[in-house]
Amino acid sequence: MNGLTVAGPAGRSPASFRGLRRVNGQVGARNHVAVLAAMDNVNPVARRIAAAVPGAIAVTAAYGRGMYAEDRERHDHCLIAYGSHPNVHATLVIGLEPVTATRWADMIAASGKPVRWLAVQTEGNTPATVSRGIEIATAMARAATLEARVDCPLAELLLGLECGASDATSGLTANTTLGMVSDRIVAADGTVILSETEEIIGAEHLLAERAATPAIARQLLDAVAEAEALARFQGVQIWPLGEDNIRGGLSTMEEKSMGAVRKGGTTPLREVVGYGQRPSARGLVFMDAPAPGVENIAALAASGAQAIVFTTGVGNPIGHPLVPTLKMTGNPATAETFRANLDVDVAAIVTAGESLDSAADRVLNRLVAVLGGEPTRSEALGDTEISISRVDIGYLNQRRRSGAGT
Amino acid sequence: MKPTVLVLDPTDTVATTLCELAEGQIVEAAVAGRPKAITLREDVPPGHKFAVQPMAVGDAVRKYGVTIGRASAAIAVGAHVHVHNLESCRGRGDRSPGGAA
Repeated sequence: MNGLTVAGPAGRSPASFRGLRRVNGQVGARNHVAVLAAMDNVNPVARRIAAAVPGAIAVTAAYGRGMYAEDRERHDHCLIAYGSHPNVHATLVIGLEPVTATRWADMIAASGKPVRWLAVQTEGNTPATVSRGIEIATAMARAATLEARVDCPLAELLLGLECGASDATSGLTANTTLGMVSDRIVAADGTVILSETEEIIGAEHLLAERAATPAIARQLLDAVAEAEALARFQGVQIWPLGEDNIRGGLSTMEEKSMGAVRKGGTTPLREVVGYGQRPSARGLVFMDAPAPGVENIAALAASGAQAIVFTTGVGNPIGHPLVPTLKMTGNPATAETFRANLDVDVAAIVTAGESLDSAADRVLNRLVAVLGGEPTRSEALGDTEISISRVDIGYLNQRRRSGAGT
Repeated sequence: MKPTVLVLDPTDTVATTLCELAEGQIVEAAVAGRPKAITLREDVPPGHKFAVQPMAVGDAVRKYGVTIGRASAAIAVGAHVHVHNLESCRGRGDRSPGGAA
């Protein structure tokens, strides 16, 4: 397997992956040409360009007009982060007008990424923009093929952790196994990001006890308190349990959380970061971001994570277009019915008495293969989507007026 | 085959089954660290929970050694424990002034 199965910290796990080293020092797992729509009114233009150019991929999200303050900042931050992402070779920004497109292109260029921009209003119309965009993206895709993969240590890995369509097997098998994988990556000086703030409620005290400093514990507890304060402001119950979770046997948020936090493993918590922010610490990091799958992987991807492992109990197919998203389950029934969508299954823990250690080996080997270029099922099937979480500006204003948050 | 029934912590008041259990079936579960025979009061699907300790309304329901909610109805040993008799204590913005509940 590419000569990369050097003994790792556990004595048998791969210690490196075949990555793409960028001029800014970052390491990518993909070499995409990103055709990035700056707002939703030009999403179809970005899609038509990407569809015409092998190696190009459309990066589109909803909204972009009529957004204000922190809500706009988050939307723009994430999309610009995608344009600057380590998994991207070069970016073509598509704008409706040139002001936004040039501003974004300048910010992406500052990250060291080759970037060009086009605006529909400058080109005159959408067919002209598509035609010009295909020329530019084709040249970018040709240049991308000249880049070669090299051995990169696991210390260069930033891995996002996610779970969706969970059931009672998630906590007992898949998330526990993923926790062991997390521990191995951290032992190799890599970084894993646990997230989904609603899904640590009820288990946050256990995670806070593992914080490297009291300040980090405080930040974690503050993030949870903030999620509960937002629910009080909105007058709703935080209820991250879908009908599939309930059918799978999960009864409360606290129960779901106890299973969800296992993905992060057992190492100390080194940092708490905001939505889509890049960690500065290595090791286990928590990202304060909403739990729903598509929104959460949008945030994980914006942090610069090169891959995401997404556990599922009863089957959730979605991945991020730029960040390979491995699907894994520990549910024996799902392992059969959902096989076409799964990158790795650890159901043998239940059906054949496989050890968690052996299951973790298999997951890490699959992850290393995917980091080295093997497509995930969601990439191969096109089961990818981006939804950037909206910010409740009314809540933030109320908090500012009451002088609570500083 | 002996059914796989998991009690994850000695302080837990519920067990989780990995296989289908039927009303009247007798299963063995570790209760407070000791094996105990429990007769199921109703069918319990795979992945679902049943009580290994009796709980009154408002009592903490424990799994993984932590409180995962409180009993919203009296729960007898061997009863299915799920959303009909167990509710979240956290994130209840619906119970704030002007909330939905």
